[in-house]
Amino acid sequence: MGETLEVFLAFLRFGVLSFGGGMANLPEMARVIIGNGWVTRQEFADGFALGQFVPGPNMLAVLFYGLSAAGLGGALAAALGMFLPGAVGAMWLVWGWQWMARAQWSRAVRKALVPISMGLSASMVLVLVQLSVDSLFWGLGVLVGCFLIYRGVGVAAVIAGGGLLGLLLGLG
Amino acid sequence: MKVPLGKLFWAFLQVGLVAFGGGGTAQLYQAIVLKRGWMEEREFLETTALCRILPGPVFANTAAHLGMRLGGVPGGLLALLGVLTPGALLMLLLSFAYFRFGAVPGSVAESALNGVAAAAIGLILATMLRQAPLALDSLKALGLALGVFATYGLLHWPLLLVLLLFVPVGMALYWQEARLPMPETEAEGRG
Repeated sequence: MGETLEVFLAFLRFGVLSFGGGMANLPEMARVIIGNGWVTRQEFADGFALGQFVPGPNMLAVLFYGLSAAGLGGALAAALGMFLPGAVGAMWLVWGWQWMARAQWSRAVRKALVPISMGLSASMVLVLVQLSVDSLFWGLGVLVGCFLIYRGVGVAAVIAGGGLLGLLLGLG
Repeated sequence: MKVPLGKLFWAFLQVGLVAFGGGGTAQLYQAIVLKRGWMEEREFLETTALCRILPGPVFANTAAHLGMRLGGVPGGLLALLGVLTPGALLMLLLSFAYFRFGAVPGSVAESALNGVAAAAIGLILATMLRQAPLALDSLKALGLALGVFATYGLLHWPLLLVLLLFVPVGMALYWQEARLPMPETEAEGRG
């Protein structure tokens, strides 16, 4: 029970802080939960990869991390902690939105969050590369994937292609 | 507009089943505005723009917000449950399989996941490249982005500290521009 609560509180903190897109907190999440011994570096990267296969937010990967930390209860605790803060805020917005839409501070925050999100995304790319790209081959893979998606190739096709390529490489 | 809770849950559950690849917000738009006419287009766009200010995935937040409007607090919770449940169940299944059959280092599964991760990182990079011209359109924007990257990405400062530092600075830098009522022209955020 104590462990589940610990997982919930950790992910609640990530959930409250994940401004600028759901995954902006990924670098800190990696540092904290790897540091806690809840997942290994490899498992963190694998959980992130598995999150690409499911519909809905990629951050559903927190179920993987919670499961690894404290079983099924941990998985649910991690998901609740991650998704509830934003959802509660969004529901509160039903009353507050007209005032929020006009308020100058809210416009200023939204404008500021655009470049801040870029910095957070760049940090996220850095930590993901450090955790899961362990060869020059996959470094090139990242660049090729980026190029293809930038040129308009379907995201699902590129991700499936990456998986298939890895599969072939593992068999060979 | 009020919608019966059963219908509401079913609508959001359907979105949750098909919202692959970060396109969830567009799917919500299809389901709620275009297909069912439960909300005006303008209202929907204003809602998603405001949901960007909140922590967490814009997609899940927007769903909770729309559900609350259409069916009160139970509607909001059911909408959130609807969009998350299919993905959550599949994620649990995959995770169980992973820990049960173990992706040992050097195994085929491990190698496949490495490929998926590489492609997914490519996706994040491509999204950033697309957004960069709009998002980094001024010196102050560039400065904010670099500052966040240097402190958070390179120096490993805690996220709370980084946000407490850069959000107020950013607000101050954009305060003048935020005064004028302006149309929503922000760059698309990831869902």
